[in-house]
Amino acid sequence: MRIYNRYILIVTLVLLLSTLVLIAMGQTSLSTYYIVYILEALVITELYIHFNAKARRGLSSIGAILFGGFLFVICVELVHMLA
Amino acid sequence: MGLLNKNPYTWMGLGLLTAGTLVSPVAYFILDLTWLSALGICMLILSLILLTLGRTIPKLPPEACGLLLETGVDNMAALIEELGIRAKATYLPSSLTNGRPQAFIPLHSNTALPSITTALPQRLIVRYGSGPDDVGLLLSTIGSNAVSLLESKPGPSSIELESALTSLFSGILGVADRTVVACNENHIKVEIHNPHLENGTGWSHHCFGGPLASVVAAVAAEAWDRPVTIEQEEQNGSKYFVELEVKE
Repeated sequence: MRIYNRYILIVTLVLLLSTLVLIAMGQTSLSTYYIVYILEALVITELYIHFNAKARRGLSSIGAILFGGFLFVICVELVHMLA
Repeated sequence: MGLLNKNPYTWMGLGLLTAGTLVSPVAYFILDLTWLSALGICMLILSLILLTLGRTIPKLPPEACGLLLETGVDNMAALIEELGIRAKATYLPSSLTNGRPQAFIPLHSNTALPSITTALPQRLIVRYGSGPDDVGLLLSTIGSNAVSLLESKPGPSSIELESALTSLFSGILGVADRTVVACNENHIKVEIHNPHLENGTGWSHHCFGGPLASVVAAVAAEAWDRPVTIEQEEQNGSKYFVELEVKE
């Protein structure tokens, strides 16, 4: 399944590269790392429209879980800012 | 017990899940290293993706699929060879076969194939005209079954056909990277990038085309809702070219 391997390789490389960039920028907030990872994973998944239906459904569920985490982090950050 | 029987994606996912679950809290709460905690989160995200994809891998191994394919092709080749058929197959859409798209071969190659306007009966030997020699074989090919894997019937435009073929070859069958389609009046040119499905060279290959060309022809016949023949097919480097003619 070449398409699966390509997708996994791209997600892994992008996540690792963004980690290196954030480290180089001196980022110390874990929330920022998480938000960047989620956005990248969601965008790459959306670009892979040729997955079979079962894989697309599975990845949509994962996307929903990760997006839930993203909203949670945003809410926590907002509470911190308001407090 | 089900997890122990899984493929490399699931094993890798389980490995990353374990590593991520251990690394993230230790790095965040004990070592106070944000970057290492972030890498732990990376591992958890990748593990979720791998575990999900691992559940969608077909349970039948590729070797078993190849065996089934070869058996079917060998049987068809024996039948075609025994009957001495030399004509090229015409791929008919499902509207002309009362079911799924199928390949039609006239038994007598000296008679010109008339335009088939009404649906043929679902039989092996079918009569398609009024003449005594207007008899042919209606056979299911790899393409006939591949079309049923598509979620919806593709449209006739080159973009729709290209999307359906890429989805089929890359996303569902995993036998090529992508396709490029160009339609010019009654001719369709398809470019298949990095195919890794071997083509036969026997008699049945001459009649039906190779497996990739057969799939392309069946999908095109269904998309255009008209009979289609394979004009030419050739491998050139890492690309496979298929040229089709759409009949009236």
